[in-house]
Amino acid sequence: MAAERIKKLLCLWRVYAYLDFMLLTRDLRLFLNYFITDTLLNLAAVSGTFLLAERFAGLGMWSKPQVVFLLGYGMLVGGLINTFFSFNVLYISRRLGRGQLDHTLIQPQPLWLSLLTEGFMPLSGSAILLPAVGLLWWAGAELGLDPGAGWWALFAMQILASATIATAFSFLWGSLAFWAPRAAEEISSSALRIVYQLTPFPLDGSGPLLIGGLLSVLPIGFVAWYPCRFLLGLSPSPWDGALTPLAALFFALAAGLTFAKGKKHYERTGSSRYLSFGHRR
Amino acid sequence: MRLLHKYWHTALLSAAGLVGDNPLFLLDYLLRLLRVGVLLGLWQVLLQGKPTGIELSLGQLLTYTLVAEIIRDQLRCHTQLLQSLWEGSVGSYFLRPMSVFGQFAARMGGEWLFGLVFFSLPLALAAPLLGVDPLPASARAALLFPLSLGLAVAVGLALELFFGALVVWMDHNLYNAYRLRDALVALLSGGLIPLELLPWDLGHIVGYLPFASTASAPLRIYVGSGEPGPLLLLQAFWAVASWMMALWFWRFNRERLVIHGG
Repeated sequence: MAAERIKKLLCLWRVYAYLDFMLLTRDLRLFLNYFITDTLLNLAAVSGTFLLAERFAGLGMWSKPQVVFLLGYGMLVGGLINTFFSFNVLYISRRLGRGQLDHTLIQPQPLWLSLLTEGFMPLSGSAILLPAVGLLWWAGAELGLDPGAGWWALFAMQILASATIATAFSFLWGSLAFWAPRAAEEISSSALRIVYQLTPFPLDGSGPLLIGGLLSVLPIGFVAWYPCRFLLGLSPSPWDGALTPLAALFFALAAGLTFAKGKKHYERTGSSRYLSFGHRR
Repeated sequence: MRLLHKYWHTALLSAAGLVGDNPLFLLDYLLRLLRVGVLLGLWQVLLQGKPTGIELSLGQLLTYTLVAEIIRDQLRCHTQLLQSLWEGSVGSYFLRPMSVFGQFAARMGGEWLFGLVFFSLPLALAAPLLGVDPLPASARAALLFPLSLGLAVAVGLALELFFGALVVWMDHNLYNAYRLRDALVALLSGGLIPLELLPWDLGHIVGYLPFASTASAPLRIYVGSGEPGPLLLLQAFWAVASWMMALWFWRFNRERLVIHGG
């Protein structure tokens, strides 16, 4: 049963990767327009922090290459979640608020499988992933990192945990759109904007109260800062490496439960966003 | 007077709509509060007791960041124009007996009213709790700041209209135009990171661009890190030049405007 599910998952990813390929190759001008703009704009989004690090030869306890590592890590997390959860799967409140969950529910497959596959855009997402890998590679070379298999395993685990936390955070807030479809239609955007805007900064100087908040209620610290501290050996305890995966587990559970509760509500009420002749309210 | 009355009521409707339609604007206020907290912490780490060779003192930098957040809506000058182009609802703006962009500006003003009362004022009052002196550098700075802010809003609105026209010119590629504007403004306006902190003397070059007139200039006047005369002159120049450019570009693209939905 599990093997069949995995086979179906891989098969669907292949289908959506092909569709992404077709979308981009349909018009070379369109492809280059999106690809180059995405690459440049994602680099521009983190350039403010980089320029500060250049000006001050680092930021606090972080050296310049360490800051670049942080930026690359944060960008990789953003790239991954955008590669796997495009078409508003990541911005789930838009689908819920617009009554578009019905389009997914009528498909002859479990909801989780649809959500895990139909936003897969590996080629479009590479416009963010490639510069992220470039930043990480440059920082690694400058830092003289010579990672073994164990470090790579930890890196993969932290990246996966960070991406899970960012996605779960969006779903946690986005589930509000089950109860308030119109008012909460854009709440996932607001939640993810918080994540994207604060990810490029080392949070060390933010004070215990703010750091506490950014590692609990709003888990933005886990998206790049905290795991990078661990991976670069800046955190005092080796146990710090376990905190991000544990937080990922907690937020994934919380998001799953909230989403399931919202879906139960939706099963009773349905979507109120469409009029009988098809227009949206 | 009657003309102003129409725009004033549009602004009031917009202010009320912000609360009625989407009470989740509170989440955006939370983001702003977090961002200011993170930046204040970062500046303290960077500048506390270290000779950095920059013109801004730590106190000025903290005031700069706090005031930038207090007047952030005015420095950004975001209207609903791009959103309306995306949704197609811009069509109904053309049908009303008012200036098309004037309606967007009035709506933006309405949204400011709410933010000023429920975010900017409380943040200004809470400044001492954050260890920041929110007062202007001098009486002269206090007098010239409103004038500079007015010019900043004029340049910001012109840029908003320009990017709206750019969306039409780029075959309604709203996503790229919107992100291009945000990236340029975040980096070149000095609204988030003061231009004096940029390396390689970039701040001096960037300071001559219109983006700097939308945020850096009024904030530098407020904290006393820039000579007001040249800054105001440059802002006045960009206020005229950017409006001429934006109006020309909007008119040039007006016939290309395609409206779907609405």
